[in-house]
Amino acid sequence: MSSQKIEEHFITTEPYYREQGNELTIALAAFQHKIPLLLKGPTGSGKSRFMQYLAWKLGRPLVTVSCHDDLSTSDLVGRYLIRGGETVWLDGPLTLAVRHGGICYLDEIVEARKDTTVVIHPLADDRRELPIEKKGEILSAPDEFMLALSYNPGYQSVIKDLKPSTRQRFIALELGYPAPDIEAEIVSHEAGVSAEEAERLVRLAEMTRGLEDAGLPEGASTRLLIHAGTLMASGIPPRQACKVTISETLSDDHELVAAVDEMISSLY
Amino acid sequence: MYGVQQPTMTSTTQEHMAGQLAAIIPEAELNSWELEELLDCLNELDSRHQELVLHQISVIWPVSHSLCLAFLEAVQPALECLAADQLAAWVRGILDRYESQGLKEARRFMADLDSHFVCKLRGETGLLLSAIKGRLGLYLRGVAGRPFDLERATQPGTDTVTIFLPRSLAVFSNDQDNFLIYKLLASLQWAFVRGNLYCHEVKDERGLFAKLGPAWQADTDSEVFLDRFFQPFARPELAMAIYHFLHTVRALAFLQQRLPGLMSDSRPYFQLMARNSPPAGTAFLAAEYAELLEQLGAGQPLHLPAGSISRHCQPQRRQDDDQGIFLDTAAIYQAAAKTSPLAPAPDFQGSLTVERAHKRRQARRQEVEQQFIEALSIRILPAVATSREDDAGPETGPDQPQQPDSGANLSLRLPGDQEESRDRDQSAEHPVRHVRLDDESIELDSRLQELGREIMDDLGHLPQLYLDSAAKMAAGRSYEPGLSTSPQEGTPLTGTNLYDEWDFRRQGFRHNWCHLLEKDIQPSGGTFISTTLTEHRGVIKQLKRQFEQMRSHHRFIGRQRDGDDIDLDALTEAVADQRAGLPASERLFIRQLRDERDIAALFLVDMSSSTEGWVGKTIKESLLVMAEAMESLGDRYAIYGFSGMRRTRSEVFRVKEMSEPYGTTVQGRIAALSPKDYTRMGPPIRHFSKLLAGVEARVRLLIILTDGKPEDYDDYKGEYAIEDSRHALIEAKLLGIHPFCITVDHTAHDYISHLFGEVNYLFLDDVKKLPRRLPDIYRILTT
Ligand SMILES: Nc1ncnc2c1ncn2[C@@H]1O[C@H](COP(=O)(O)OP(=O)(O)O)[C@@H](O)[C@H]1O
Ligand SMILES: [Mg+2]
Repeated sequence: MSSQKIEEHFITTEPYYREQGNELTIALAAFQHKIPLLLKGPTGSGKSRFMQYLAWKLGRPLVTVSCHDDLSTSDLVGRYLIRGGETVWLDGPLTLAVRHGGICYLDEIVEARKDTTVVIHPLADDRRELPIEKKGEILSAPDEFMLALSYNPGYQSVIKDLKPSTRQRFIALELGYPAPDIEAEIVSHEAGVSAEEAERLVRLAEMTRGLEDAGLPEGASTRLLIHAGTLMASGIPPRQACKVTISETLSDDHELVAAVDEMISSLY
Repeated sequence: MYGVQQPTMTSTTQEHMAGQLAAIIPEAELNSWELEELLDCLNELDSRHQELVLHQISVIWPVSHSLCLAFLEAVQPALECLAADQLAAWVRGILDRYESQGLKEARRFMADLDSHFVCKLRGETGLLLSAIKGRLGLYLRGVAGRPFDLERATQPGTDTVTIFLPRSLAVFSNDQDNFLIYKLLASLQWAFVRGNLYCHEVKDERGLFAKLGPAWQADTDSEVFLDRFFQPFARPELAMAIYHFLHTVRALAFLQQRLPGLMSDSRPYFQLMARNSPPAGTAFLAAEYAELLEQLGAGQPLHLPAGSISRHCQPQRRQDDDQGIFLDTAAIYQAAAKTSPLAPAPDFQGSLTVERAHKRRQARRQEVEQQFIEALSIRILPAVATSREDDAGPETGPDQPQQPDSGANLSLRLPGDQEESRDRDQSAEHPVRHVRLDDESIELDSRLQELGREIMDDLGHLPQLYLDSAAKMAAGRSYEPGLSTSPQEGTPLTGTNLYDEWDFRRQGFRHNWCHLLEKDIQPSGGTFISTTLTEHRGVIKQLKRQFEQMRSHHRFIGRQRDGDDIDLDALTEAVADQRAGLPASERLFIRQLRDERDIAALFLVDMSSSTEGWVGKTIKESLLVMAEAMESLGDRYAIYGFSGMRRTRSEVFRVKEMSEPYGTTVQGRIAALSPKDYTRMGPPIRHFSKLLAGVEARVRLLIILTDGKPEDYDDYKGEYAIEDSRHALIEAKLLGIHPFCITVDHTAHDYISHLFGEVNYLFLDDVKKLPRRLPDIYRILTT
């Protein structure tokens, strides 16, 4: 569980973030106009990193919740605990962010059950309030509070689709994979590999993207490239590094894995 | 009577075989040349196989003589692929096709052997293309950023759309090394396409031909640029060899740079080639070929061009210089001794087939152009439409028509490069991800990217004209809807099962416009079911196991009123709540949830005549495989087909109702599915949306299998048909149904993303993948 102390959620050093387009401008505008943010994009495309950067830029604390299907409303809003015979109320991360005018980032929102996520609705429209039922309290969000969700719209389970009614309350930012030169820059920076090495990794990623029809819903993400690069930088032979970080993680289909392996061995 | 069954028969002399044949085929039915042909075919067979085949002749001959002859032609290559004990099953498949679909289909079935039977590899045949086509195809698609068809041929080559490769490779003794050669050959052909081997035009052809000499000034009627270039040479084949060689060096150098791993892995192969090639001698280009192989074997970066001919070329010519390679070709030709024979090129270079490539490319270019424009226009449509809503779009409105020549604000943007780039080598680097239109960058979806890639490969740039046409088309779509033909006017119908139809021009419904009929299918017998179940038994077994696991997905959920265990979190919270003076929750238990899938699915199959042949058959197989797998899952599901003609007769065919058990009747109905009439997609979608909406389930899935061409006999076609089908899907969504479309076709993709929405469809360009992918898709969708 994330820290209860809001001070610990401030980001003090500038995170490395390489802008893809004008996402920062849009996000700042959304903040200014108190409109919640929906980050769309495949996994590992920089959504979390972007939120860190945004929080740093705004000087607001960032409270991140990774959603999963066991997440309960209490996990978000808060609960009473017993301490030394006394009951104490403990703010959940969402409440914490609302109370202190922070940014609450619900990562992978579709993983949470729908009955859990209803609590964000009054926060997401212009009421901007959070009812804390157990305390009989309704918290009004200060201007600095911002709600952000992330969601991966890729070809995936219909069970996990985001409802249009939810979606329409947000400003949606699409963070796809960055353009090749930018992506190479990121990989080089994060993994500590040379520009050429990073470029080659990006080329590999490109080969694996766009194979949806062939049964690969998502290609290698920036994150995977960074993993591969990190292994390479620590001396692991490139083919092996790519195999363990990329081909084996992308699919279980033997033919696809084999084909990706062939791409790797063509490049390295 | 069947002497062939005697296990002792080992001698296979001509007479003996003739005797065997005579025992099977009444003499009167066979004329002498037929007999000879049969014997010839039999003699070519491995002696181990002769008696097996003879037996099959006895089965096929009485059915059809021509089928039998066709079978004999096909059986030899087939036996390289089939295990002996699979032969009988294969023949059953052939006969089944013949009886249900005729000789042509049966022939196709035979030719398609690879897709029906997993080939067994044998040492003596080496590695078969058919065995590795899947992997190689995926590899190439990734590397090239666009799909290529892979086909077998005696020589490697390409027509710029298909890549031809040998049927089998046995250069090395193990599969892995042979695969590497396949990979090299395929990559090299791709590099040829990238390098513009089949150059169709050069900038300033007159200028080039003026430099080449008077022979090139003469009028020619050839419409193929390469022909115009080669024909004036006294020995065109020499010029072609030079040209091909220069391209080979260029392509290999490109591969060294792009795919260094492949090139270094291939070194042993190049070394082997070098060792096995005859001493260089005096034949023309022999020394160059040898030097090339040596450099490749040593892993040295290639310099262009190699050997003694290099002095004829101008080193300062840029690689991407359009004309350079032609000038070099001519210069080398000039210096060549015109009498010396031509050395054979290294095998991997393959063949140069100008005519074939030209034809294919012509056809393909138009196709791609159309698809690209169409798809792009739909892509930019929302923007245009919105600006109209805002009333802010007069500048693109009809009063101020688009100016096709004001190309300045339209340019191709390559990632990281704001300027339009016409530099083939540079733009070759990355996918084409955006185009710029009115200073707005438009992101291309993956299909557009692929088309863009193909256009870039073909033309070296993305013509302005394409962008202009798309912009115009988009403008036309939103402003001049009246231009498209209107479906016949008529009166609303009365009766049951009437459905509205969406008329995009009036942005409203035509009420009670279509009449839908539910029909039964008579189950058919035949061998389709047993053949399919046998052919796919491996897949079915695997799927059943997978689906089984999805079913027995156990999950613990907390905060329940009763259950197997205490939910400690909930309990603690309740105690705390109580202390705080709040009513404590009674949901304090954890319960194991067994089958909470609660999913109802309806498979809706396009039975229009456009799905005839390959689609029809494989869709049936896929349904059968799917149904088998579903049995181990326990989800409720229904299967229906649809077709029809005109708005008065939209038909749906009941294969399996939601509550009906799966069994031989359902199997028989699947087998009986056959192509019918047209594809009016709206009514069946609306009909089954209504039906599904009435089903009590957590998730309701409508899975539509189609070739993606909504079209009816009347004017239900084009944009009208697309918009109505699209609208019907949107209506389904509003009813809380999840539509998912699986489109199977080679080319229908241009408007498909508009029709089926961004997420809810999947395009399959190879129907053979369907039996495998359909359950796969279902699994991903529902977990
Ligand atoms: N635009 C970017 N700038 C800097 N780093 C990035 C960027 N995009 C991706 N990364 C890198 O990729 C990694 C994965 O990104 P992350 O933000 O965790 O992805 P997501 O939240 O979308 O799954 C990050 O840790 C970071 O190293
Ligand atoms: Mg993340």
